[in-house]
Amino acid sequence: MKFKLLSISTALKILLLMCVMVQSSLSYGQTRTVSGTVSEDNGDPIIGATVQIKGTTIGTVTDIDGRYTLSIESSNPVLVFRSVGFKNQEVALGNQSVVNVTLDRDVSSLNEVVVVGYGTQRRSDLTGSVSSVKSEELTAFPAINVAQALQGRAAGVNIQANNGAPGSSFKIRIRGGTSINASSDPIFVVDGFIGGALPPPEDIESIEVLKDASATAIYGSRGANGVILVTTRRGKKGAPRIEFNTAFSSQEEIARLDLLNASEFMDYIQEIRPQFNSLGADTNWQDEIFRPGFIQNHQFSISGASDNVDYYVSSAFFDQKGVIIGSGFNRFSVTSNVNIKASERLKIGMNMFVQRSAQEGTRTQENSGGSNNTGVVAGAFKFEPDQPVFDENGRYTIARMNDPHDNPVAVAREFQNETETDRIQVNFLADYQLTDNLTFRTTLGGTTSSAREGTYLPTLLNAGRNVGGQGSITGRRSTLLLNENYLTYTKSFNNVHNLTVMGGYSYQSQVNENWSATGQNFVTDAFEFWNLGAASVWQRPTSSLSDWVLSSFYARLNYGYDDRYLVQFNARYDGSSTFSANNKWAFFPSTALAWNVSNEDFLKDNETVSMFKIRGSYGLTGNQAISPFQTLARFSDIFTVVDGRPTNAIRPTTVANDNLTWETTAQLNIGTDLSFFSDRFYATFEYYRMVTRDLLFQVPLPQYSGFTSQLQNAGRVENKGIEITVGGRIIDRGFQWNTDFNLSTNRNQVLSLPNGNDILYGAFPGHMVGLGQTHILREGFPVGSFFGWIYDGVYQVGDTFIPGGGFEQAPGGERFRDLNGDGILNANDRDIIGNPHPNFIFGWNNDFTWKNFDLNIFFQGTQGNDILSYTLMELDLLSGINNATRMALNRWTPENTDTDVPRAALGRARRVSTRFIYDGSYIRLRNLALGYNLPYDVARRVGVQRARIFVSAQNILTFTNYRGYDPEVNWNSGGAANGNLNLGIDYGSYPNVKSYTLGLNIAF
Amino acid sequence: MKSLKILFACSCLLGMMWSCTDLEERPVGILAPEAIFRTANDVEVAVLGSVGLLATEQLYGRQFTSALMLRSDMVDIGDRGTVAARIQMNDFNMDDNNAMVLAIWPRFYEVISAANAALAGSEIVTGSEARINALAAEARFMRAFSYFHLVRNFGEIPYIDFFVSDPATVKNISKTSVATIYQNIIQDLEFAKQWLPDRQPNNVRTRATKGTAAAYLANVHLTLENWQRAYEEAKWVIDNKDRFGYQLMEDFQDLYKAHLADGLAEHIFAVDFLGLQTAPGNINVDFTASMTGIRGADRSGWSVNVPSLKVYQTWPEGDYRKRVSFDSAIMMGGRLQPYPNFVNTQRPHIAKYTRFPGNAQGEFQQSDHNYPDMRYAEVLLIAAEALGEISGATAEAVGYVNQVRARARNEAGVMNSFPADLNSGISKDEFIRLVIEERRFELAFEHKRWYDIQRRRMGNEVFLGPNSLEPRSNFSEARDYLWPIPRQELENNPNLLPQNPGY
Repeated sequence: MKFKLLSISTALKILLLMCVMVQSSLSYGQTRTVSGTVSEDNGDPIIGATVQIKGTTIGTVTDIDGRYTLSIESSNPVLVFRSVGFKNQEVALGNQSVVNVTLDRDVSSLNEVVVVGYGTQRRSDLTGSVSSVKSEELTAFPAINVAQALQGRAAGVNIQANNGAPGSSFKIRIRGGTSINASSDPIFVVDGFIGGALPPPEDIESIEVLKDASATAIYGSRGANGVILVTTRRGKKGAPRIEFNTAFSSQEEIARLDLLNASEFMDYIQEIRPQFNSLGADTNWQDEIFRPGFIQNHQFSISGASDNVDYYVSSAFFDQKGVIIGSGFNRFSVTSNVNIKASERLKIGMNMFVQRSAQEGTRTQENSGGSNNTGVVAGAFKFEPDQPVFDENGRYTIARMNDPHDNPVAVAREFQNETETDRIQVNFLADYQLTDNLTFRTTLGGTTSSAREGTYLPTLLNAGRNVGGQGSITGRRSTLLLNENYLTYTKSFNNVHNLTVMGGYSYQSQVNENWSATGQNFVTDAFEFWNLGAASVWQRPTSSLSDWVLSSFYARLNYGYDDRYLVQFNARYDGSSTFSANNKWAFFPSTALAWNVSNEDFLKDNETVSMFKIRGSYGLTGNQAISPFQTLARFSDIFTVVDGRPTNAIRPTTVANDNLTWETTAQLNIGTDLSFFSDRFYATFEYYRMVTRDLLFQVPLPQYSGFTSQLQNAGRVENKGIEITVGGRIIDRGFQWNTDFNLSTNRNQVLSLPNGNDILYGAFPGHMVGLGQTHILREGFPVGSFFGWIYDGVYQVGDTFIPGGGFEQAPGGERFRDLNGDGILNANDRDIIGNPHPNFIFGWNNDFTWKNFDLNIFFQGTQGNDILSYTLMELDLLSGINNATRMALNRWTPENTDTDVPRAALGRARRVSTRFIYDGSYIRLRNLALGYNLPYDVARRVGVQRARIFVSAQNILTFTNYRGYDPEVNWNSGGAANGNLNLGIDYGSYPNVKSYTLGLNIAF
Repeated sequence: MKSLKILFACSCLLGMMWSCTDLEERPVGILAPEAIFRTANDVEVAVLGSVGLLATEQLYGRQFTSALMLRSDMVDIGDRGTVAARIQMNDFNMDDNNAMVLAIWPRFYEVISAANAALAGSEIVTGSEARINALAAEARFMRAFSYFHLVRNFGEIPYIDFFVSDPATVKNISKTSVATIYQNIIQDLEFAKQWLPDRQPNNVRTRATKGTAAAYLANVHLTLENWQRAYEEAKWVIDNKDRFGYQLMEDFQDLYKAHLADGLAEHIFAVDFLGLQTAPGNINVDFTASMTGIRGADRSGWSVNVPSLKVYQTWPEGDYRKRVSFDSAIMMGGRLQPYPNFVNTQRPHIAKYTRFPGNAQGEFQQSDHNYPDMRYAEVLLIAAEALGEISGATAEAVGYVNQVRARARNEAGVMNSFPADLNSGISKDEFIRLVIEERRFELAFEHKRWYDIQRRRMGNEVFLGPNSLEPRSNFSEARDYLWPIPRQELENNPNLLPQNPGY
C-alpha cells in the first residue's frame, strides 16, 4: 500500500467531474440508487475513484472509505470505474444495487498527464525528452532539499553535493555543462513560476525534468541547461485528509583519513627540521571534530477539495545537527495552495510558500587556508598531532610548523557563522475560459528572499586575537517578479486532428541588494556580531545594487494526427537588459516530430509491444547567465590613503563589450520509448548532441593592457551522450519487484577557443601558493581537464637529475618526466593528466513489496572520472609543515629506496602531477529502506486511514578505489564559472554522511 | 462578444507592457567612464587611483618588496617551510610561472593603466590649466615610477603610454627597447618636474612633487650611469631641500615609527598604508612587517624574510643603525630570549618594520607604515656616488656621505663615535666602494640593495665571492639580473618572445 498521490490528471478529472455534476444536477427524475466500494486487490479502499454511467455525464467519486452512491435513471447502464494509477473497469449494472469492484494497478503511464512549459500534455503526446520523478522517490528518505532527493533519479541528470555541510548546495547538471564561464545550472520552475523558491520535497507532487530543445526552447534564453518543473501538491476531492510524516536520522561521517600519529609525525619532521621537538601530546584531530549527527524531519498537512475549492496546507520542519561540532541547519516552511472555481468560466488560484532557514556554518572547503582562514576538515587532517587542543595556559594551540593557524577544534567551536534566510513567495493565477476551445491564463508571482549572515571571530582564536575579535554582518535581499499571460487554443477535428496552440507574453524582473559591515577590536567577545558599534576599528562598509529585466514573447503549436503523428513548434523571443547595446533581443525556435508506431494498424493489437514511439527534435536555447552591468565599461572605487586618511579614488576595472550576447545551444535529440506486455516492462533510449556557441569567455587579455580579462563571446563546446532507462515489474505476484535503472553518458569537449589557443587557469585554495596553472581548456578536450607534470617516482642515488628551475635534484626527490625531451624540466613538460567528467553515471532503484512490507534498494554511481586531490597533496607533499597520511611511512630514505614516495624535503614546490590524480569512480548504496504498512482494517480500528513505519539507511556502502575520504568531491564548485571549471577537485570538504533513519507516515 | 472584449483587453494590456519594457541598463553604484571626467577634481581622483594601487599586497604590501629583499644578499629565507615561490626567488631557482612575479607584473601595469586613464581625462576636462597640468604631471610621474621598476627587473617590456579602452589594439605589440623605455621615463619625469607643485597639501610624501621628480631623475640617471645628470638632479634637490621640506631625521629610529610616518620630512616618495584597514582585491593589505617578524615571539611574525647570520655578524657592532635594523633578542614566553633560542629561525630578524608598526594586527598584518621608495638620505648618497664617479672623493662628495654618517651617530640624543666621518682624498674606487657599502647599511632592507647589485653588476662578487653574505652557487649573471616575463603573457602575445635569457 502506497500513499495515494495527487496529480494533475486527478485534478483535471475532478474538474471535469465537477462540470459533470453541475450538469447532472440540472437533470431530474430518478429511479433507483446503486452503491458499493472500490478497492485495491489487497482490500484497501481507493479514494476519489470516479464512477460514471457510460455514455453519460452522470457520475460520482468514492469517499474516504472507497464508498460511492449513485442515482440511476436508465434501465441497464454500464458503470465505468476509473482511478489514476489503476486500470479502468466497466461493469454492466443489471439489477444489482450494490456493486463492489477491485481495480487492478496500472503501471502504464501513457495516459498520465505531464507538466510541460506553459501547459500539460499526455505522456503519449510528448515529442521531447522529459523525465518525471514522483513523490515517493523524492521522499524516500529525509532530504535537505529537492536537489538531494533527485540525485540518481533521472537519466541525464547528474547531481553532486558541492559540500557535505548541512544546508549546502548541490550541483545539478542536465546533460553536462553547456558553458564554461556562465552558469550551467538548470532553471527551476515552481508551479509556473520561473526561478521560484523550492518547497521541501514532502510538498512536491511531481518533478519533470525537461532535457531537449523541444521541451526547453519555450524558456528561450534560459533553457540551455535544462528546466526542472516542480508541481506542488493540491487538495484532492473528499473529506479533509490529515497527513503526518516524521523521521529521525542519526549520522556519521562517511569515512576518515588514516594519518600519522604523533611519534610517527615527529620522526618525519625531525628528519628535516631537527629544531622541533615533540610537544608530547598525541591528538587525533578527527576524533576531536567529529560527532554523531542527527536529523529530524516532520511534515504535517491538511488537504481536501469541495466542488468549487481545493486546498492543500502543509508545514514542514527539518533540523540537522551536523557531524562536525558547531555545524547545523534547520528550516521551517508553510505551503498553501488554494484553487477556487469562481464561475463556470473563471478559475483562480493562489500558491503561497513561506520559509525560514538557518544555517550554523563551519568553515570547510576553504578558498584560502591561510592563517586566518583555516578550515575545520583540512585542519583536522594537517594539524600537528603532537600538539594538544589547549596549551599549558589553557589557550587553543596554534600551528608551529605551518602558517600560524588555529587548531581545527578551536575553529569549529569558536568561529561563529550563522545565516538566516527568509523566503516569501506568492503566485496568483487566473484561468478564464474565453470560448470552449480558448482559455486565457494570467499569473502574477513575486518571491522575495532576505538573508542575514553574521560572523564572529573571537579572541579565543589566534586569528581573532590578531584583530581583537572581528564581527561582521551581511544582508542580502532579492526580489523576483514574474507576470505571464498566455492563451491556449485546443481543438479536435474529426477525431483525428488534434491541435493545440499556445502563445503569450511574460515580463520578469529581479532586484538584488547587498550590504555589509565589519568591526574589529572589541572590549569583549560577548557581543558577537550584535554590537558592531562597540568595535574600535571599523572596516569599510559595503553595499551594492543590481537589477535585470527580461521581456519575452513565446508560442507553441502542437498538432497530432490520429495519435500517430505528432509535430510541435516552439519559439521564444527574449529581450534582456543584461545584454549589450547591440544585442538586446534574440530568438529561440525549436521543432519536434514523433511517431507513435504502436498506434499504427500493424502494431495496434500486438500483445508484446504495448508502446513504441520514435521522436526527434532540434532547436536553439540560450543561456543568458551574464550578470547585470557586465557589458559596460567601468571604473571602480579604490581604497586609497592620503595623509593617513582614506580618500576618494577610482581606477579602470572593466572593458566594455558592446556586442556581448547570450550563449546559444543547438540541440539535436533522438529518442524512442518502448513498453512491452501491457506496459509491464519499459525502456527509453535517447541520443543527444548539443553544441553551445558564442561561449561567454573571460578571454585573457595581455596584462600589460592594465586589464586581465574581458568578457567575450568566443568558442564552442559540445556535449553529446546517450541515456538509457529500463525498468518494469520483474516479479508481479504476491511478492513484487519493481526496478528502474537509468544510465547516462555525456561526452563534453571544447570544440573551439579564441584563436584556437589553450586557456590555462589555476584553481586551488589560496594558501597553496605556487601551483600556478593547474587546469586547461584545450580544443578537443573536456572542460576542466587537469594539467600538470607526469610523476615518474623518485630519484635514486646515482641517477642523473634533470635540471629545471624549482625542480628537485637530489636522491629521494620527486622525479618528473621531461616530456618534450629538451633536457630541461619546465612548464613545457606539462600535459593533460586527468579528466574530471565521468564516462557514465547511473542510478538503480528497486522496490520490493510483499504483503504489508516494502523494501527499497537504491544505488547510484559514477564511473571513470578523475579526481585532483589537494587534500592529499597538502598531506603527502612531505615538506615538513604539516601532518601526512600513513603513506609517509614509506617515504624515501637512504635505507628505504624501493618506493615511489619521495623523501621529506623542506621547501618542496607544490606541483600538480599524476601523483595526485586519482580515479574517482564509485558505487554508492544511497538508500536501503524497509517499511511496514499497517493493514487497512487494523488501521481503521485505531482510527487512522493509513500508517507506515520504516527504517532506512543512506550511504552505508561505497565501493571506490579513491584514497581520499569521499569520492563525491566538489571543492569550490558552486556558482557560474566555478561550477564548470572546478570539477573533481578535492580539498577539505565537509564529508558526506551515512545516516540511519526511523520514520513514520500516518494519515487520518 | 464578452470573450472578444476580454481578448481585446488582454491585447491592450500586452501592448502596454510591451511599450513599457525598457532594457536599457542604468547601473547604480558603478562608474561609467564617459560620465567621469568633467573637472580637474575628477582627474585627481583618477590619479589617486594609481597611487592607491601601489599600496597593495602585490606591490608594497608584500610581494614586490619581498622579492626585492630576497633577491639581494641582505635578506635570505628564514623558515624554509614557506611558499616555494619565495624560496625560488631567493635561491635563483625560479621559472616563468613564479607566483611572486605573476602577482607583481599585472599590478604595475594596473598602476600604469590608472595613470594613463587620468592623463586621458586631463586632456578633456576644462579648468585651470596649471592645475590640470600638475595632475597630468603627477600621472606621468606614476607611470614613470612604474616603468622604472619594471624595466630594471624585466628589461625589454611592452611600453604603453595611452589609455587602453580596447585591448585588441595592443594585442600584438612588441617589446620596447630598454633605451627607449628609459627615454620615455626621463621625458615623463622631466614633464613632472616642470609641472608638479613644490609641495602637496599637508606635505604628504605619497604624492609626487617637483622634488620627487628630480630625485627620481637622479636615480634614473645614476642607474644609466649618466653621472653628470644624476649629480645635477640630486644636487638640485639638495640645494632646494627647504623649498620641498626635506631633511634627515635626527634619530635614525624615527624613520621606522609608523605613527610618525605621514609627511615625514626625510621621505621623498613613500607608499602609505592605513593601519588595520583592508579593502577587497588585496588593496591596502600589508604583510611586510609580518614577513620579517620573529615566529614564536610573544608578538609573533612569520620569519620569512630573514637576513643570513653573516649579514648580522659582519655589520660593525658600533653602528647604531644595526640596533635599529635588527632584533637580536625578543620576548618569548614572557622572557627575553637571544636569537639562538628563537623557536623557528635562530637568526637576528629585521626590526625596522616590527618595532613600531603603529596600528597593526596581532602578527603585524595591516601595519600603519609608509614604505619609502626614496628618502633624502638616498639623494645625498646618489649625489656622493655620482660626483665620486665624476671627480673622485672631493670634499663635497665626502660631505654628502658624512651628513648621513653624522645622523647615524645620534643614538637617541647620545652621539656615538661610529661611524666616523670619511676623509676626502681616498681613492675614487675606495670611495665608490664605501658609498655602496654606506647604502647597504643606511638603506638596509629597504628594497634598494638588489638594484645596487644589478646596476653595479656585483652579482658574481656578492653571491659567488669568498666574502658572500649569502652564497648562491647557482647564481648566473646571464640569467639572474632579470626576472622572467610571466609565461602567460608570452602565450597571449607571441610577439613578446623571446623570454628573458635562461628562463
